[in-house]
Amino acid sequence: MSVDIQLAPVIHFEPGVSTSKPSRSGNLAASALRAGSLVAFVAILLVFSLTAPYFLSVGNIGNVLGQSAISGVLAIGLTIVLIAGGSNVVTGGIDLSLAANMGLSAAVYATAAQLGYGDATAVAAALLTGLLIGAVNAIAVVVAGIVPLLATLAVMNIVAGLELVLTQNTVIPASTPLLTALSSSGPLGIPALAYVLLVFTLIAAAIVQYTSAGLQLYAVGEFPDAARAAGLPVRRLVAGAFIASGLCGGFAGILSVSNLSGSTTGSGEMLLPVVVTALLGSVFSRRLVPTVIGTLLSTLFVGFLVNGFQLLNISSVLVSGVQGLLILLVVSATTLLRRQEA
Amino acid sequence: MTLQTSAIEPSVPRALIGVVVDNALVLALVTVFAIFSFATPTFLTIANLQSILVNNFTLLAIAAIAMTFAVSVGGIDLSVGTAIDFASFAFVSLVLAGQPVAVAALAGLGAGAAVGAFNAVLISGIGISPFLATLGTLFIGRSIQQLLTNGGNPVYLPPSGVPEAFRFLGRGAIGGIPVPLIIAAIIIVGATVVLTRARFGRVALAIGIQPSVVRYSGIAARAHVAVAFILAGLIAAVAGLILSATVTVYIPSSGSAFLLNAIGATFIGTTLSRLGRPNIPGTVLGVLLLGIVANGLLLTGLNFYWQQVGTGLLIFAVLALSFITRRKA
Amino acid sequence: MSAASPDEIGDAIHLDGIVKRFDGALALSRASLRVRRGTVHGLVGQNGAGKSTLIKLLAGLHQPDEGRIEIDGQAYDKLTPHRVEELGIHFIHQDRLLVPTFTVGEALFLGREPRIAGTPFLDRRLMHRRSSEILDDYFGVKLPNSALISELSTAEKQIVQITRALLDQPKVLVFDEPTAALVRREADILFRLIRRLRDDGVTIIYISHYLNEIEELCDTVTVLRNGEDVATLPLGETSAAAIARLMVARDIADLYPKRSVTPGKDILTLDRLSAHGKYQDISLTLRRGEVLGLTGLLGSGAKELIRTLFGLETATSGQITIGGKPARSASPAQAVDRHLALVPEDRRGNGVALDLSVTENITLSSLKRFTRLGFLDFSGERREADDLIRRLEIKTSGRNALVRTLSGGNQQKVAIAKWLSRHSEIYLLDEPTVGVDIGSKVEIYNLIGDLAARGAGIIVLSSDLAELIGITDRILVLFRGSVISEFVSSQTSPDDVLAASTGSSEVLRHVG
Repeated sequence: MSVDIQLAPVIHFEPGVSTSKPSRSGNLAASALRAGSLVAFVAILLVFSLTAPYFLSVGNIGNVLGQSAISGVLAIGLTIVLIAGGSNVVTGGIDLSLAANMGLSAAVYATAAQLGYGDATAVAAALLTGLLIGAVNAIAVVVAGIVPLLATLAVMNIVAGLELVLTQNTVIPASTPLLTALSSSGPLGIPALAYVLLVFTLIAAAIVQYTSAGLQLYAVGEFPDAARAAGLPVRRLVAGAFIASGLCGGFAGILSVSNLSGSTTGSGEMLLPVVVTALLGSVFSRRLVPTVIGTLLSTLFVGFLVNGFQLLNISSVLVSGVQGLLILLVVSATTLLRRQEA
Repeated sequence: MTLQTSAIEPSVPRALIGVVVDNALVLALVTVFAIFSFATPTFLTIANLQSILVNNFTLLAIAAIAMTFAVSVGGIDLSVGTAIDFASFAFVSLVLAGQPVAVAALAGLGAGAAVGAFNAVLISGIGISPFLATLGTLFIGRSIQQLLTNGGNPVYLPPSGVPEAFRFLGRGAIGGIPVPLIIAAIIIVGATVVLTRARFGRVALAIGIQPSVVRYSGIAARAHVAVAFILAGLIAAVAGLILSATVTVYIPSSGSAFLLNAIGATFIGTTLSRLGRPNIPGTVLGVLLLGIVANGLLLTGLNFYWQQVGTGLLIFAVLALSFITRRKA
Repeated sequence: MSAASPDEIGDAIHLDGIVKRFDGALALSRASLRVRRGTVHGLVGQNGAGKSTLIKLLAGLHQPDEGRIEIDGQAYDKLTPHRVEELGIHFIHQDRLLVPTFTVGEALFLGREPRIAGTPFLDRRLMHRRSSEILDDYFGVKLPNSALISELSTAEKQIVQITRALLDQPKVLVFDEPTAALVRREADILFRLIRRLRDDGVTIIYISHYLNEIEELCDTVTVLRNGEDVATLPLGETSAAAIARLMVARDIADLYPKRSVTPGKDILTLDRLSAHGKYQDISLTLRRGEVLGLTGLLGSGAKELIRTLFGLETATSGQITIGGKPARSASPAQAVDRHLALVPEDRRGNGVALDLSVTENITLSSLKRFTRLGFLDFSGERREADDLIRRLEIKTSGRNALVRTLSGGNQQKVAIAKWLSRHSEIYLLDEPTVGVDIGSKVEIYNLIGDLAARGAGIIVLSSDLAELIGITDRILVLFRGSVISEFVSSQTSPDDVLAASTGSSEVLRHVG
């Protein structure tokens, strides 16, 4: 649609006529919060690097990136659903089937590989699995009108069951050229998975942050009435978000096979950590909304935390506690700041 | 004139849809029950029905009732499992340390209530949304349990060191009825009474439906929300006590196994009730539905792993049907 | 182009004989609106006269029960919002539909985002450049590219919304109370824009409570009353005063059954109450049996004052005294304990719980009375509900019906019944008859009279001035946070009160 306006300027004003003073204080509070989180991020990196010299070496950073690849891909998938569903997780966007999706896709990939199919077929099968799961979620939410929390909960159960059926609750070992390549090291001795994560993030960010569809997703999630008033295809966008999230699950499944040289059970364990990571990510954006890059930062933050604790021989059991505390701190800060503004 | 008459007297199919919507959960339950009764010879036996109640019902019912209290005020409690775990840990540890079972049980209930109180502070005090607040609690609780158990080692009671009262709580029976089932029944009745007949329940439901109206009516809504979450912690703690008394061991973070099913049962009960309000009978029927499906699929001789698929499919179908018919009605 | 043929200067919009009912209540009875191409057409009427219903029909949000809608001479049967927009009709709503976390550029171009040529990517630079250009050219407004909608002032948001509509090169623009949140200078900018758009051939429908604006801006005005169009006049042949007379029903005496109650003791006193930036030095006394009117434009501080009394906002200085005791309430709970009652303007959001039953709503605030040892006395509740349903003539299929199923007027009665059940003594009624049909209005006025007769003190905040004059004893007018005038209701007219509340008579009145 054309954006050119042929109407001539109506009025010319002397400068300074501009209207009542807008308050930019909200901006200040938000940037304080964001700066605070970034400072905390950097401070933790600094503490680790001072106490564990190896921490900030290229090799170690690469390791952290590689180890974060799977959760990063999942968290980015969830981020897309969060964007389209708005800030209220219970009534809005959530995809509880994401971790189970990864498990089933991994099993499909490993099974296909074991049956002697080539990488192309196996990859296609895994991605198709993820896509189908996403499509079922999309239909349940958009067509049947089930609340996402319940719809994806039910789908999660089905998918987790299918994974068990397929694997009989055992490890399915797999070895393909693709897996070998993924589990090898790339340039600079950094794991290939690290590069995969970076490239995937770039692509996802390009789509979500820099295209019309991405911008419209935000409108749908934050203010559905405004989206409808602007004539956006709200249902199609929400459906698209669930399908995209499903694809991310499928992709993460392939990565997980390479990481563990086979499909293993217990993918469900990843669900809640991924939810926390994706929710934390919004603190890294200027507008305090979920973003792909914010989610990447938050994934890396957790990754560095785990890694630093390991290097310092601190029990990694603290990681989930720190994550929990962080989310409470961040959300309290946001809530209290908002209350002050009001 | 004709328009008005038709609005007052709904057509037959419309009325039928209305009946289905009003009783969707009972209908679903009866259907599932009938199917399994015909499909398997062993389903409709006293022994099996008892096994459903003991193995597929008791603990989840209590956990789901805890969840229902959180949902009744418009919230959700992702930390029900944490309250179960904390109660179980306090209970087992104190019994192991030689404390009387009653003291240990009280401490367990206190631990669960403390988890609820922590949530209450976050939600009512600071104003964090229940989902995020209880998610934070869940994660912090996980770390605390790991710290308390040296990285996640179970706390066992030696077979010789299990006090009689402890064993009774988990495996005892009164008049042939298992003690856990009796406790669950008491909680079901008590919670039903509180939610439907007590002033607290009325206010809680009103908060869940339209919080601003409650505030504008001069009621301290936040205090009621706080109480609901503390109650959720307390009730979940009962499940923790029964769980550890049954298996005579505390396993860190084992309570989270109940989380998703508790959410499922509660929301099935809520969405399939006539008014769409959180309610204890609905939650209990939801738990029964889950339990019967799990048990029935087991009896059909279906591969164990297919059972989970079946359960998921069935719940998905029930939800989809109810949402679709509701929209038509 | 030939000279303008009669066809070309014909009607842009013609709504003819429109009838619309909601839940049996008649919202529009044979209302017509005929807007000629290229004119600014005013639409006025009191709250409930049917303006918003008429506009919603035009927007395709409702379908008429009877009557016909013609756009550009073409009749349309089933209008949808989308179809209406395709026909070039755009609406500038009071509630600004802009995503708060978007930049101005993103909000302006949402749904028609420009792309970098040959790529699927957004051209953010072009969006920002075009949006600064447009805003600067049309409004002389300069906003930083990074500014988010949530950081803009109300006026700036409105400007962004108008600009959004302009991007579509609209044929018809409908403004719904556009100046309610604007200061005078901002309104002037808007007026110049509207005139310019008219000169460019755009048809404007302008809805406003401010008759001086109608007088200043419009070519023609249609007056709606009780769901009918009572007159359509060229502005050259009429005046604000004449329009005001047309807006108000002739049978005021029947519509506003004012009781005469001899006021009793003081029940509520405010002494130099101030809230920083909202209102200052408000002093007033309310007596038992008295109905006190309060009015003022958006931003006058009247709404904030009511909220402060009910403990929803805090005052920074001054005294509130109830029954001789200091009574600044920190929460609604405290206020309710002091026998205050608020019937809020947002009835469906704050006044009644739509998905609770009539009984549950009525006893919500007075549950303690129906509680024995923590448990509810259902039969007591039922008696109370039946009693109030009967006394207030609440039309419902039963006490267990959800309030959602009631009409607006009956919902409002439930909201008031809640406080009767609580035995409240000071009633704060905020726009009590917005969205209430005429029949229920009279019943609510009667109810207010009854309350006064039984010794309650009542403050009515309303922008319906005829109503205010009809049902109150005294009227305080707030302007920019201060009480600017006080009227004895029986000795004033809507014109006088209107003039005071717009501040236009400030000088005169103080000289006099």
